[in-house]
Amino acid sequence: MSVSSRDYVYSKFQEFYNDPSTVISSPTNFEQREFAYLMFKERFMVRHRRFENMQTFKNVLARNVPSDVYHSCTYYENPDLEMDKKGWIGSDLVFDIDADHIPTACGKIHDEWICQKCEFSGKGVTPEECPICGGDKFSVKTWACDVCIESTRVETAKLIDMLTKDFGFADDEIRVFFSGHRGYHVHVEDEVVRSLDALSRKEIVDYVIGLGLSILERDVNEKAVKGRKRVVATKKFNLHDYGWNRRLKVGMAKFLSTVTAEDLKSFGLKNNNLFKNKDAILSRAIEGGRWDSISGVSVATWLKLAEQVKSLESANIDTVVTTDIHRLIRMNGTLHGKTGLLKVEFPIRQLDTFDPLTHAVAFKKGTAKVLIYDAPKFRLGGATWGPYKNVKVVLPTAAAIMLILKGRAEVVNDV
Amino acid sequence: MTRNLSSESVFTKNDLAKYPFLKETARYLSPLDLQIEDFITPSMSPILDCAMERATSAIISLTVRPLINEQGNKYVIKDIEKEIISFPVALMLVSATENSLIKKRYALAEAKQATSELNSESKDFVYKIALDFGWRITFTPTDSTFEFALHFSDFLQNASHLHDVKWKLVNSKLSEGKVYLNKRDVVRLLQEEIKRRIEKRLVTVSVGKYPSEISELADKLKVIASENIGQTETEFPKVVVQEAFPPCINMLYAAASKNHHLSHMGRFALTSFLVNIGMSPESVTELFRSFSDYNERLTRYQVEHIAGARGSGTKYTCPQCSILQTHNVCKNRDDLCKRIYHPLKYYKIKSEMAQPNTPEKTETTTNE
Repeated sequence: MSVSSRDYVYSKFQEFYNDPSTVISSPTNFEQREFAYLMFKERFMVRHRRFENMQTFKNVLARNVPSDVYHSCTYYENPDLEMDKKGWIGSDLVFDIDADHIPTACGKIHDEWICQKCEFSGKGVTPEECPICGGDKFSVKTWACDVCIESTRVETAKLIDMLTKDFGFADDEIRVFFSGHRGYHVHVEDEVVRSLDALSRKEIVDYVIGLGLSILERDVNEKAVKGRKRVVATKKFNLHDYGWNRRLKVGMAKFLSTVTAEDLKSFGLKNNNLFKNKDAILSRAIEGGRWDSISGVSVATWLKLAEQVKSLESANIDTVVTTDIHRLIRMNGTLHGKTGLLKVEFPIRQLDTFDPLTHAVAFKKGTAKVLIYDAPKFRLGGATWGPYKNVKVVLPTAAAIMLILKGRAEVVNDV
Repeated sequence: MTRNLSSESVFTKNDLAKYPFLKETARYLSPLDLQIEDFITPSMSPILDCAMERATSAIISLTVRPLINEQGNKYVIKDIEKEIISFPVALMLVSATENSLIKKRYALAEAKQATSELNSESKDFVYKIALDFGWRITFTPTDSTFEFALHFSDFLQNASHLHDVKWKLVNSKLSEGKVYLNKRDVVRLLQEEIKRRIEKRLVTVSVGKYPSEISELADKLKVIASENIGQTETEFPKVVVQEAFPPCINMLYAAASKNHHLSHMGRFALTSFLVNIGMSPESVTELFRSFSDYNERLTRYQVEHIAGARGSGTKYTCPQCSILQTHNVCKNRDDLCKRIYHPLKYYKIKSEMAQPNTPEKTETTTNE
């Protein structure tokens, strides 16, 4: 980023944090939270701060102009002391769904990676190793496209379904946010989760991602073997009506009612009987619980099917964020340093309709002239722009800032 | 010494004798205002003996009293009062050993004893015990397959420490925030809760200085423990045996040696593993030297922090297998992996198999 581009974005961030109409809502139990922010120009993180109230903190933001603002998910007795002296009281249960961790239908074709060793570059998902020199360190220019954001929305919807139906949280106990980049944050602040330790949170993560799911029931029968009674244990496929078992049943029904024979094959489910007996499976096995009544479908095939359905029904979350009981999270209503978009909260029932690329726009006034090196076609603030390649264009402030922060453009001062 | 329970008590005196860790026991005993000095008076010596018996039995056989008597009938507590008071006294004796292994074993024995007793109690009684621990628990309708519905947070605080896959939340009967359980499962989870409460009390009961009579008894317990439960600390070979690394650590170690990128969790697992098996912080820092983003001061700081030489002074233990699985650090599981729950346990078993008597031969890295 050129100096003038940086100064330009900085001035806009400065305006934002100094604008009296900027609303940043206070996190719950404000005085027990640790606050942190990344200095825009100096690029260092100010941590372990405590503030009396939101107004004092806003004054600090206006004065210091950070690129990113965070608060702890944790409640501390002394949030401003060093880590082991803070006095852990509890922590919100937080989930982060980010396109970075999810395979998306767009194939991340808009992301660009450059090998730090040999400077070889490519587009799409960053490889494990550079195909030319074998190096494994890359600088990556990401992009947030509609498909990326939609993929994370789908994962968020699955997570919320689990939180409500399985974990029993009411809609108003779950807070949903667009992260400001390419994903969503889900916070549960209810008293019952605050005291959960890291191991308990790991169990919640395993539930959400379906890790460790073990379905087979041990069916112990007394059988006469060679005239003597012996206890014989066999493994039986069966699903009950709770938790993941119920999810598998619902998921199987959904999967089988829309799947084609080719789809099944592509998923590695080569047993034709699954497709042929679709209706019987739906009524006799899934509805009636008689899993052993479907001819030609063995326990192994049921397990394969369950595994496939599990991968469709589990929610792809960042496992580290939820298990970390000292986590810092981006603050609602503040700017994201990689996009200039806001982290914004919206009602859970609007998950299907909420459009982050419209509602998370912070800079709604003015335009800027930028030289764009390379940008795909994109949508922002209700309009569509691009694609661009080595052109000078006048864009609305929000679009210009996003392109600059994404390393795709520089500001042109000859306006 | 005959006193009555408070009028609100949901338990009988016999209950308190059987389950002395209940909150009600403390309320019942508080008017006596027992002080540590009281226990060394001659009149209290039967109680002291009883407490000593309790702690000894806990250490040796993980029980605190028999379940059945010599005639094969249900064991009946004869002197209820003595039995109740022997519990806080035993806590004091165990605490005076200042030995974490004895404390843990005692808490486990008390919890196991309670579990055995609880398994033959009614469902209403088990419910009352669960309420003593503040559990959010309800009975299920009579036509249900299960007897109890327990809030998932209470379930997790106890089940997350159990290794059998049936205790994983992902395999539980979870619905609308509640985990559906039968009585036996609830009792098993209560065992964890009881153990924790007693472990906590063993920490808080500590008074620092004990009368010499108490210290002598504590010393006796220590002798009994060393004779019966063996070594107190997990001992690793004096040299680092790389052949005994579990597959996950091997992969991380190889990646680190080749200057490949490690995730935060991967780096933490590798560092804490190496520090715990006895590699010096300097050697670990050296391993990370080849990283292109290597920063000697920062790396040394992080490694020393994990080793406990900085910050809070706590030495971080390596994450257990299930944590490494959650974060996708567990790779290439082998047969031994299936039998253990912790990378350090893997190392302990395999290093013993690898070099029963000849440690020099397999030495790969010096342990400074």
